[in-house]
Order: sequence, then C-alpha cells, then structure tokens
Amino acid sequence: MLVANRGEIALRIIRACHDLGVRAIAVYSDVDRDALHVRAADAAYPIGAAAPRESYLNGARIIEVARRSGASAIHPGYGFLSENADFAQAVADAGLVFVGPPAAVQRLLGEKTAARRLAREADVPIAEGTEPLTDVAAAKAAAKRIGYPVLLKPAGGGGGKGMRKVAKEEEFDTAWRAATGEATTAFGQPALYLERAIENARHVEMQILADQSGNVVWLGERDCSVQRRHQKLIEETPGPSVDDELRERLGVAAVRIAKAAHYENAGTVEFLVDARGNVYFLEVNTRLQVEHPLTEMVTGLDLVALQLRIAAGERLPFAQGDVVRSGAAIECRITAEDPYAGFLPGSGVIALVREPAGPGIRVDSALYPGMTVPNEYDPLLAKVIAHGRDRAEAVARMRRALAEMRVSGIPTSLPFHRFALSDESFSAGRYDTTFVAQWEGRAAPELSAGAASVAALAAVLAMRARSERRALPVTDPAWARAAREDALR
Amino acid sequence: MRYEVTLDDRLVRIEIGDRGRFSVDDRVVAADVRETVRGRQWSITLEGESHEITVITHDPLRLDVDGRDVRAAVVDERALRAGRGTAGLRAGRVELRAPMPGLLKAVHVKEGDRVEAQAPLATLEAMKMENELRAPSSGRIAKVAAAAGAKVDAGAVLIVIASD
Repeated sequence: MLVANRGEIALRIIRACHDLGVRAIAVYSDVDRDALHVRAADAAYPIGAAAPRESYLNGARIIEVARRSGASAIHPGYGFLSENADFAQAVADAGLVFVGPPAAVQRLLGEKTAARRLAREADVPIAEGTEPLTDVAAAKAAAKRIGYPVLLKPAGGGGGKGMRKVAKEEEFDTAWRAATGEATTAFGQPALYLERAIENARHVEMQILADQSGNVVWLGERDCSVQRRHQKLIEETPGPSVDDELRERLGVAAVRIAKAAHYENAGTVEFLVDARGNVYFLEVNTRLQVEHPLTEMVTGLDLVALQLRIAAGERLPFAQGDVVRSGAAIECRITAEDPYAGFLPGSGVIALVREPAGPGIRVDSALYPGMTVPNEYDPLLAKVIAHGRDRAEAVARMRRALAEMRVSGIPTSLPFHRFALSDESFSAGRYDTTFVAQWEGRAAPELSAGAASVAALAAVLAMRARSERRALPVTDPAWARAAREDALR
Repeated sequence: MRYEVTLDDRLVRIEIGDRGRFSVDDRVVAADVRETVRGRQWSITLEGESHEITVITHDPLRLDVDGRDVRAAVVDERALRAGRGTAGLRAGRVELRAPMPGLLKAVHVKEGDRVEAQAPLATLEAMKMENELRAPSSGRIAKVAAAAGAKVDAGAVLIVIASD
C-alpha cells in the first residue's frame, strides 16, 4: 500500500496496513524527511519540493513511485488527491487499486450541484439553491429570489474552502469576488452556486460504508457544529440533538444517496438540521474524514482497515443490523493556529510534546519534539479523541486530556479547546455553528502569582545553565541533543 | 545573587541564596526545584503547587510555564549595578510582525492613525487563507513598514505602534 499523504493521517493508514500485515510505503516532500510517517513506514520515497503541487499533489510522480516500489494500491488519505477524480482514474489506468470511490462516482458527487440533483431524485430534501453561476448579476437576482442570508459555494468542491455567507445585498459584490478567487485557487474553476443559509443549524454528517457488491450501511452521525470559517474544530458523536428517530432518518437518506450514486468504499453524507428538525442534504465527501475516529470509538470498527478490505473486493463483513453504537465520543483538532490572534496559522519548532493518555483517550498525532511545523500544509497537528459511556464522561475525559496535553514552541488551538470543554453551553450540548464567536476577542489570562514566581526562578536557572555550558569546552553532539529531546516526550 | 526577571510585562525579583534558598520579591519561599532535563526543564513545587517549566528557546528566552508560552528576560545583580536598568521588553513600542511568510494583501491603517487593541491592521494571505492581523495593543501607528502587495517573510516588521 502506498500512502499518498502526510501527517497524522499517513500514520493512521500505515497503522491499519500493519494491523492487516500489509507493507506500507510512505512518500514525503523535502520538508517531511524527518516526519513520523516516514519513520513508521516500511519504505519511503521522496516526491519533491515542499509546495503541495510539487509533491503531495503531484499525482504522476506518486503513481510512478507506486509502480517502482511494487505497490499494488494507493490510499490518498484526506485532502490533497483524495477527491481528485482524475487522479483516481490515473491510478486505475496504471493498473493499481485506488482506495476510495471510483473516478466516475467522485466526478458525479464532486460537482456539488449535480450531487444536489441526485439527492432530489433520491427524495432527500435540499436547501433552496441554484445551478452553477458565473455571472454576478444573475447571481444577485437569484439571491434576491431566495432571500438573504445566502451562501456562496464553489461548484467544484467542498470542505468549506471558498464558501461565503452574505447577509445583505450591499455585501454581495465583495463576497462574490472573494469567493470566486478562492474557488479558482482551491478547485481550479470559478463557478459558484447559491444556497439559502439555514440559520442556527447544526452540521451533522453520516458515515457510510459501501462494498463493490452494492451493500451499503450507515454507521452513525457526527456533529461538527463547532467551526470557524467553516473549518471544524470540535466534533462529536452522537450529535447532542440527534435522537434515534432523526439518526435513522439521516442514515436511511445517506444510504439512499449512496445507492443512487453507486457509491463504493467509505464516505460521508453531510446534512444541516435546523431547529425544527428539518434535514437538508449538503454534500457527499468521497473520502475518509478527519473525524472518522469518532465513529471508530463508538462502533469498535476500524474504518481504514475496512476501506482496504472493500478496495480489495471483499464484501462488508456485517449487515446494518449488526452495527452497534456504544457511548459517546468527542474529537478536538489541535492545530498550529493562535486562538488569541484570530486563529492565525503559525509555523516553527516544537520544543515540547506531551500527549495525553489514560482511559478512553486516543491521540492521532504526528508531533514529535524538535519537529519543524511547515507552513506549506494544513495546520492540523494532532487529534485528541475521548470516549466515554455517555457524553458527560467523554467531556470529562476530554477536559482532563486537554489539561494534560503540552505542545509548546508554537501557538496552538489548545487554549480554545480548553475553553470550549469548560464552557457550560458546550457541556450541556446546547451550541451551534456560532459557538466560536463567543471565544473571539479573548486575551490570554495573566499568569498566577505562583506560576510567575516559578517561571522567574526557572528563567534564572535557564540563564545560569546556559552560561555554565558556554564556559565548558565541550560540544553538544547531535545524539545527546536527540536523547534529551526524547526525554522531553 | 539577585536577579530581575521580566515575564511578558511583569517584573519579578529573584534571589538565589546558599543551599537552595530562594526568595521571590524579597519573600523567602518554600520551593522544591528539580531539574528534570539538564538545563532545559524543571519541576518546581511552590507552597504545595506543582509546576513544570520547559525552555522553548534560549535566545530570546522563552519558557513553557504549565502550558503557557512566556517570554522572559533576566538581568543579574552586576548588570543592575552597572546601570543597565530593568529588563524591559521595549515598552511603548509594539511591533506587528508577520507571523508567517505570505502576501500582504492590504494595509488598513496609515501612519498617525489611532487604533484600539484588536483592530484589524492588515490582511496577510498565507496557507491559501486570508488572515486579519490585529493590533496587539492600542496606540498610534508610528510606522507602516510594508506596503500592500509585498511578499513578506515570517517575522518581518509590518507595522509599529507607539502604544499607550
């Protein structure tokens, strides 16, 4: 298996390969030579410069490496080439197995307005909207007809990139320009479509698995309502407002769409659920999701291993009635973003890493001390997942895990996550996509008197240690530094 | 030996005596200091509370204090006597630096403008996202050091604020 990705997800896929006794081949860009996925894999090959276009988006190069290294399949992970139908086609044309839905399915569902038509034909409700538009005047007229606020969405792809909410007509032109630009950068085509913005809605997604024989099961929902700029920060399952009836309704709708699309492999069908329980189809993500561990925690299934089995032509080893969900799980995405500075992404060297552990805690991470966080890629550093018998236990475990966790050297989203998990409305499960707004504008709290005292003490000791070391005529060999850094873990 | 330590914007006086006696702001404290990684990490209990401090960088000195990133500057007795003054972090002049390399899309202020803390000052495009850079403190714009359209490196000074 060639793993065409980096970071925590590359490591996650390598682990699934090793669980199944499959050799894992990593690829890496110039700045990722020291990365954990390179070290965990059985073989590793360089694929080019740091810029994604030169390496992790360079499909031709990746397929060539797969051929030369003797790989028989390619797992794209998420992001990068995972939803690129041309890549899926090229992999198949090269006689290799693509772990994911075939190119034709990706093409159909990747064109977001085509996916909306498919949902409508499968009798699944969608928010009022338009076909792809390139003319601002026509778009403005459509917005007036639908009624503000409206969402501008790139027709060529999802994931929140290039998406803009427009509250009133005066803001339309500016938003249109920005969204067109971002859509062109992210998906290579400027076309946008309009959709009525569903206010105070919850973002709920349904995990599905489909084998090559047409069997489709749904595994349960994930709620992703804690978002910033349409990027997810916290996810959980079950959704706090999803009861058995709604879950069943979402599951059945997702399976209906998957069957209509002749779906294969793992996928996620996204819905908005408004305050009255109305369900609106959003899109299908034709890949493994970042937050897939939530579903794994409550079902006990290994989604990545199942992806590999399905890609190998095996039938789903269980039926819908065999799927059992137990307890609740929460995931926090720890990113290299400064929550005290508007979540500004940063890069730099990680000085200290301490990952939480203990009952119910799973950490999917690619962090190590001494790591230089590159600025070329997604700022996701690690995912902390907490599982409990119920939501309260999962929340308590997550709160504890976040307090335990240390990532220092660069700003991370940890302070925001600690705030969220201690917030009353989050603990009570009463929150929506506007939750992050409650955080914005906060400043870092002052050091306590005790912490300031010990910090000052340590500052003096650090300075003295350094001047003593300077006075000694010994060098600082790399192995000693590495050993020290290891000790910091 | 006496030291003055500046942590972000607060001053703490430390005295290290014989046999591990410490005083903080002229008060002798019961601190148990264990060096857990030589020259880089300490576990310190102070009046029963457990703290952990790790050096992030030595120059400039940055510490992780119970998970918080703190900038520190230390001035020792001799330097204090020599009149080098307290360890200041150049109060009164606050620089807005590019947190990462990118393209400066827009600068929203000009020299002489008054700004409140958190006011948007410039837009930096990086990682395919447009990021609003906000004023770290209120004050008057003393200098705009980079123009819209410029490619800037991480750490480049963009705007200088004469803070209140």
